[in-house]
Amino acid sequence: MGLVARHLEANGIPTVIIGCALDIVEHCGVPRYLYSDFPLGNSAGKPNDAQSQADTLELALQLLETATAPRTTVRSPQRWSDDASWKRDYNDLDVLTPDEIARRRTAFDGSKATIKRLQGRT
Amino acid sequence: MFLLPIRDALVGSTTFITWRCTMATVALVCGGFGFLLRTTRMKCDADDDMPIPYMQRTRDYYLALGYNNPYRWAHFDDVPFAPLTKPLAESRLALITTAAPYQPEAGDQGPGATLNAAVKFFRVYSDSTDAAPDLRISHIEYDRTHTTASDSNTWYPLAQLRQAVHSGRLGGLTARLHGAPTNRSQRMTIEQDAPDLLARCREDGADVALLVPT
Repeated sequence: MGLVARHLEANGIPTVIIGCALDIVEHCGVPRYLYSDFPLGNSAGKPNDAQSQADTLELALQLLETATAPRTTVRSPQRWSDDASWKRDYNDLDVLTPDEIARRRTAFDGSKATIKRLQGRT
Repeated sequence: MFLLPIRDALVGSTTFITWRCTMATVALVCGGFGFLLRTTRMKCDADDDMPIPYMQRTRDYYLALGYNNPYRWAHFDDVPFAPLTKPLAESRLALITTAAPYQPEAGDQGPGATLNAAVKFFRVYSDSTDAAPDLRISHIEYDRTHTTASDSNTWYPLAQLRQAVHSGRLGGLTARLHGAPTNRSQRMTIEQDAPDLLARCREDGADVALLVPT
């Protein structure tokens, strides 16, 4: 999405990205980014929490209004949980046995084959 | 020793050695050590409490799976910037998501679904913002341990945007929302998808755009 934002912005449409991965988006270099320190999949706020979602959108709109230069990142003050241990779990190699690694490799190879087949149709 | 998580993970290795602060704290249950354990746990939480380094985690993960062609994320020195030309209360906003339209014949795409590559899409799509299209994220590597994927508002905030229009915070939404493919190929994104999205945003009279990647 960073590439999309850059293209729209370069062609005169102001953009703001909302997401949960800080390093990837900032590494790309985007005009405006509202970062929420949530698990991937919750870019627009916490599930079933209208206030969290409203607050997230409002911060994004404020960023559109107030940013004066590119690479402006605002970090949402919302916390996913008081216990930060959830952050260990994404792609955590510490808990993967050799059998599990082999299983995941097989599954990923299957996904790649499916993607190649679908791309052949489009 | 309570504070050092030691990881020895090699591709093909049969032994993984890991000390977690939580395991260390479970091993000792003694009133005299209670305070030490509590401070140990607090320090572990502080060590965890920083933005997840997704690029490094992803590189390490796929190397461990045996793929020796690490992905290189896009990086640019220059970044474009276009200031607002009118207040948001007079602006029309375009919503762009990476979520995919639900395909009933293509397997599980609901909460808890494993990665479903069959519903991945490779060209930009558009759908009406008057309705509430059924869009899902099962084709994406989101955090399946901690994300329920049970509330689509977390990946496409159309309801909140409508509320913002209703309250006067936003002037309006474009007639269509748009789906952006998640391509490993940056060339495809730059040469095909981004120009396509720009064209659709212009057709719809977008003044600003909100992009919601998952």
